[in-house]
Amino acid sequence: MTERIRILREYQWARKHHAFRQDLQVDPSPYRAADMPDYARTARRLSLALSLERPVLLPGELIAGTRTVPALPGIYSDEEWARITATHFIHERGNVCNLSPDYASVIASGLLALRARLTDSPYHAAMRESIDAVLDLARRYREAALAAGDEALAQVLARVPAHGARTLREALQSLRLLHFAMWCEGDYHNTLGRLDQTLMPYLRRDLDAGTLTQDEAFELIEAFFLACNRDSDLYPGMQQGDNGQSVVLGGMTPDGADGYNLLSEMCLRASADLRLIDPKINLRVNRDTPLSVYELGTQLTKLGLGFPQYENDDVAIPGLMRLGYEERDARNYAMAACWEFIIPGRGMDIPNIGALSFAGVVDAAVRAGLRTASSVEDLLQDVERRIFADVRATLAGLKNLYIIPSPYMSLFFEGCLESQRDISLGCRYNNYGLHGTGLAPAADMLAAVQRTVFEEGLSPEELLRAMDDNFQGEGELRHHLQFDCPKMGNDDDAADGYAVRLLDMFSRAVEGLRNERGGCVRAGTGSAMFYIRHAQALGATADGREAGVPLPANYAPSLNVRLDGPVSLIRSFTKPDLVRAMNGGPLTIEFSDTVFKNDEAIEKVAQLVRLFVLRGGHQIQLNTVNRDQLLDAQRHPELHRNLIVRVWGWSGYFVELDKCYQDHIIRRVNLNV
Amino acid sequence: MEQGTVFDIKEFAVYDGPGVRTTVFMKGCPLRCQWCHNPEGLSPRPQLMVSTASCTHCGACRAACPHPDAPCDACGACISHCPLGLRRLAGKRWTSEALAARLLRDRDLYAQSGGGVTFSGGEPLMQWPFVRETLARLPGVHTAVETSGYASDAVFEEAMRAFSLVMLDVKLTDPERHRHFTGVDNAPILRHARMLAAGDTPFILRVPLIPGVNDCESHLAAVVELARGAARLVRVELLPYHQTAGAKYEMAGMAYRPEFDTAQPVQTHLDVFERAGVPVRVL
Repeated sequence: MTERIRILREYQWARKHHAFRQDLQVDPSPYRAADMPDYARTARRLSLALSLERPVLLPGELIAGTRTVPALPGIYSDEEWARITATHFIHERGNVCNLSPDYASVIASGLLALRARLTDSPYHAAMRESIDAVLDLARRYREAALAAGDEALAQVLARVPAHGARTLREALQSLRLLHFAMWCEGDYHNTLGRLDQTLMPYLRRDLDAGTLTQDEAFELIEAFFLACNRDSDLYPGMQQGDNGQSVVLGGMTPDGADGYNLLSEMCLRASADLRLIDPKINLRVNRDTPLSVYELGTQLTKLGLGFPQYENDDVAIPGLMRLGYEERDARNYAMAACWEFIIPGRGMDIPNIGALSFAGVVDAAVRAGLRTASSVEDLLQDVERRIFADVRATLAGLKNLYIIPSPYMSLFFEGCLESQRDISLGCRYNNYGLHGTGLAPAADMLAAVQRTVFEEGLSPEELLRAMDDNFQGEGELRHHLQFDCPKMGNDDDAADGYAVRLLDMFSRAVEGLRNERGGCVRAGTGSAMFYIRHAQALGATADGREAGVPLPANYAPSLNVRLDGPVSLIRSFTKPDLVRAMNGGPLTIEFSDTVFKNDEAIEKVAQLVRLFVLRGGHQIQLNTVNRDQLLDAQRHPELHRNLIVRVWGWSGYFVELDKCYQDHIIRRVNLNV
Repeated sequence: MEQGTVFDIKEFAVYDGPGVRTTVFMKGCPLRCQWCHNPEGLSPRPQLMVSTASCTHCGACRAACPHPDAPCDACGACISHCPLGLRRLAGKRWTSEALAARLLRDRDLYAQSGGGVTFSGGEPLMQWPFVRETLARLPGVHTAVETSGYASDAVFEEAMRAFSLVMLDVKLTDPERHRHFTGVDNAPILRHARMLAAGDTPFILRVPLIPGVNDCESHLAAVVELARGAARLVRVELLPYHQTAGAKYEMAGMAYRPEFDTAQPVQTHLDVFERAGVPVRVL
């Protein structure tokens, strides 16, 4: 990194820019007038929020934009919101979230071009008010740049985001302010999408014209990445760090070409150089991706950043097309906050609207039916009924969805401006996604029942009683269930076979279902935070798991099992038909940091990721952890403020997590090599 | 069919040869190196391994033991009684057919990564008929051996022909010191090092660098002499001693009492190799 970037990084690291934050008590009444429609309230609130912003230029600033105003109160009073929630289904916080805006078009055209297409209608007036607020913020930033004598920055801000960007720097500055305003609108988990595809035309032009060197471009990318880490503590999420600032690198373009380019590589290098939690890198690969690309990704893994997360185009593109996504859109997929596949500029999918607890349904079937079952097949029939019923019940509960409108965000989605239909009401794709938590423990439970009850003759009563007693006084049985029975992750069909069938049931259960917006329902292998919640709903289980032990996060083996190694793990977890699990959810492998004691390991870990891709895996993500360091960080958080870990679908600072998430990370099976 | 005793099969072995490999740890070794970090590889017989760090001394294992007052005969009766799963048997009998089938499962990964199978231990050549028969069942797979070189000339010659790569330890060149620190004569080992240097099997000379024992210029210069001019030498690999080497002794119910200072930093003397133009790598 250059000296300029180093200074800026230090500055941000010391959180000196927090000193510019204003302690404001904002009166929401100007945007809560009774006669104002919801979209007009959102626009007025955004306008107020941006007008309160004081332009701040940090030392050595290249890409400006620093939040000084914490989030304003929402557009509804508590009473109004209570009335709405009484009659509507509200997803999470109620705001637009987890989308991939079409930045490329807006950066290319500029906001004024969009403004010129607006009519005098009330909805268009809200869009216009939003655009004007962003342009006014840019104007004030430009004045601050002039006042500070930064002519170059002032020129950039004179151009963008009002007009189309011409250079890489203009494109990055435009993106920064466009993205900045989304958070102020109340939208969250605002992803950054296919950054390399968005920016490459500008870099190409600059390089061809000889107006920018590659080193200068790299510095700009790093400056932009730094900007992404500036305000993220103000962004809403389940935990600090869960802010949705994902980028997607590489992968097929809508035309079918390979999108991996110079910028993809620069972004990977910048991320390794800066070692910060944002943006969170996704790397799209396929069976022809050269090993060198995986090696570059593995350099980030080695640093313990918890990314890149890899997506396999060979599985994802056909999987998305199978769900009804058009070919060009399927090829153009990006990632939501964690691992959910979403379509830039066209998708209003809600990929985390609910979750199936595989562990929960299998446990219920075992408890209800083991006494009378004559084989595991009997139990599986009941499991299938329960999965179908669970999915239908979840969907039935998702009626009368209301999302707070976002006229500004709507500018980034196809057709919203013309149809005057807010993005909160839907777009080209309006699919719902369900996570699938605890697949491996569920398979392990069935494998343990098969082995002990149906092969070894253990009485169902004895097993169920032991489970009810949380294995008190049944240490030997618990040991047998936990350590002698087949486990998913050891390339043993006796366990993996059940996982294949369970995932198949889930994907058949959602097939043909339609939500109230006309979209389909997508099955996935992710967990989000449900791995904590679903575990709390379980007692002791037939796989020897005691009550209170968490479920694994995402698509991963049970906690506390003995694993043969990462190769078996990959073989097990590529047996299910993952083309049909297109809501996503990565296989997560934890490595001890001793794996990387020399550079040879980089190539070998890269080969392991490639094996997963060649075998038809959909998503994979590797973590490098040092358990002693994590334990020490719990004792002495002040000494480990920079320690980055992967939580469920995102990377954050370990010491900022709630203890239950910290403990889970410490307990995950950790492979020494 | 031959049978052998294996104490571990390690997937994704990163430091046991080229590419991604699976390493088979053969049980039993004629040497007693003071720095050995695989004490469960010494005895050829199965033995009980107990992780003591998280043991709560609940007594369940003792209650389950059929002969609590006799020395442990590794009957394994206590294993399933440990509520924390801290006990296991090191040492499992395999047929060559079953072992080969297990190893061939990953042939796609070996091919993809330029990897293969490595036999380590213990001393793999101690169970040579079994290892030879297993190798014969692995056609087309790159195979490597990590050996002390302490074997008969006939076995070593056969092994040179059978493996794709030989990794030979050269621990000490002084006969007396070698006998003192490893328990055996080094004459056959040095003879086998010269056979490798004159032969056409790719080989690596490995030196476990032990502080104050062999991390001196004179030993490394002797290694250089063995390596210099050998047509098929891939490189010399130095493996600096780690203080964690003693970790498994307590698990195996053995005492770790090395005579050297385990905390002393190791000298690598890479310049000795550089001057002689011998390729070297520190692992």
